[in-house]
Amino acid sequence: MRISIYRFNPETGAKPRMQDYELAPEAGDRKLLDVLMRLKTVDDSLSFRRSCREGVCGSDAMNINGRNGLACLTSLAGLREPVVLRPLPGFPVIRDLVVDMTQFFAHYHSIKPYLINDALPPERERLQSPEQREKLNGLYECILCACCSAFCPSFWWNPDKFIGPAGLLQAYRFIADSRDTATAERLAFLDDVYRLYRCRTIMNCTEVCPKGLSPSHAIERIRLALLRQSS
Amino acid sequence: MRLFAGQRAWVLQRASALVLLVLLALAAAVLLVGPPVSYARWHALATSSHGAVLIVVFFGAMCLHGWIGARDIVLDYVHAPALRLALLTLLAVLLSAILVRVVLTIAAQLPGAA
Repeated sequence: MRISIYRFNPETGAKPRMQDYELAPEAGDRKLLDVLMRLKTVDDSLSFRRSCREGVCGSDAMNINGRNGLACLTSLAGLREPVVLRPLPGFPVIRDLVVDMTQFFAHYHSIKPYLINDALPPERERLQSPEQREKLNGLYECILCACCSAFCPSFWWNPDKFIGPAGLLQAYRFIADSRDTATAERLAFLDDVYRLYRCRTIMNCTEVCPKGLSPSHAIERIRLALLRQSS
Repeated sequence: MRLFAGQRAWVLQRASALVLLVLLALAAAVLLVGPPVSYARWHALATSSHGAVLIVVFFGAMCLHGWIGARDIVLDYVHAPALRLALLTLLAVLLSAILVRVVLTIAAQLPGAA
């Protein structure tokens, strides 16, 4: 199997380059991450993040043959060769396939990703009806891998101001939550020419989400919630 | 800056698009139905009270739609504050000039104008 990987080491001061590898997958290798971990035993200077290896932690997000995805969920079968691996586009590169996600998580924290409810807590828990709980499906599953934001041209253009699809999906997750009482404040925060309205409905986010979620749909729901609130 | 920012700009952009669509369909219908297109017919349509108002509304919606769309492009691509300000000013002047010119032209053609 032929693999071409983006290499960059800030300590050497050399320019980024693509390095070609040739490696034969072994019998148990099913996913791209299996091959990358095998490659790591051959070339221990290669850097990439990985943890759960089953699509839950979101740490091995990268650009695979021009499309963002998780290495642990990408099957080797059907991958076009040479497999070209690059770091998530639009993010500052720390080293090889490892990117700096500081700004991504700053946007995530800006939307207050936690329930806000100042009412006295009930004795056991805040209950939801099945219908209210249903509204959170397709929102709470986001693993913050950043595949969507790193595939969004609006995020590439204004990464410091546009919250990005991942942050906006999370924002709607709390707007849609019946137990949250800060909807008005959340919407007021998002009603901004940069934070929400840089989205041009390109829908790359929905196209590329490895969990099958639809940030563009969540963004549309935020816009409609803003419309309802103002009318 | 809240006037054409955030949700209001988003709504205005869609509302103006709707106005443009309806008026273009209306213009197409007027042209397809009735006598053949001639300068005399155009003139009569543009100088009727309804025609004059609709033309001004059309260009008003076009300028508003153009302002929001072009401003979005500038916000996306132009990050230097001075260049951004210059481009937005140029755009505002251009669109205002178009609108003023349309209003003056229509007003000059209306019956009773000197």
